[in-house]
Amino acid sequence: MVGAAAGFLSGLLGIGGGVIVVPGLVLRVGLSQYSAAATSVATIVATSAAGLYAFSGNGVVNWSTAGVVFVGAAVGAYLGARLIDRVPEQWLAGTMATVMAIASIRMWF
Amino acid sequence: MACRHNGNGDGHCIDTDVVLVEIADIIGLIVLGFITGSLSATLGIGGGIIFVPVLVFVFGFGQLEAQGTSLAIILPTAFVAAFIHNRAGRVVWKVVLVTAGVGVLAAVAGANLAIRMDEVILRKAFAIVLALLAIRMARRAVALRNASAPLDGS
Repeated sequence: MVGAAAGFLSGLLGIGGGVIVVPGLVLRVGLSQYSAAATSVATIVATSAAGLYAFSGNGVVNWSTAGVVFVGAAVGAYLGARLIDRVPEQWLAGTMATVMAIASIRMWF
Repeated sequence: MACRHNGNGDGHCIDTDVVLVEIADIIGLIVLGFITGSLSATLGIGGGIIFVPVLVFVFGFGQLEAQGTSLAIILPTAFVAAFIHNRAGRVVWKVVLVTAGVGVLAAVAGANLAIRMDEVILRKAFAIVLALLAIRMARRAVALRNASAPLDGS
């Protein structure tokens, strides 16, 4: 259900699934914030590949910009995944709530 | 304006302002990647919620180009995070199978349906659902903090 809702909405509204998958996994499936982040990010590998496949056919991907951003993103993702268990779970939940609130406001307008 | 002769005596010059702007852009993009990459790995989001508006409003991308480029960053970034998380045994693969499988199919269905549905109503409905979930997530954060408070006090 969570996957269906996330995939459906991401295809429909052009947003990533994480913002809906993570609360689904935490609040419904009952995973910890740590497992939910790891599981969501593994899901996103598949869903973003499908999305990218659809986009790249239309030639609207700026690969050089993507490459430059990825230089920073790879380091951030590596450190984030390595150090996640040093972050208290309530911080992860609080930050996630903030990101979701921002996403909600962006959706509305 | 800020033009320095290139020293070849051929009248060509290097526009230092443009070079500086480009360097600033590159540093800005790397910093953007670093912040979003760490949020992606620790929260489990792709990062499109950050990439798309920044690429549009700061770097002047079109909406579609920003979305496509955002996906091109998210895929390898999520792969790096998933690889490390998996090594630490945090990925619940049984759940990934369901969410990814159903998610990919539903994304295709959603993309096709989007054309026929009233997008404004959908967006607003989703915004409300997301706001309610955000409140529940915030309450969970408070509950977790209260649960760990006695430990901090000792």
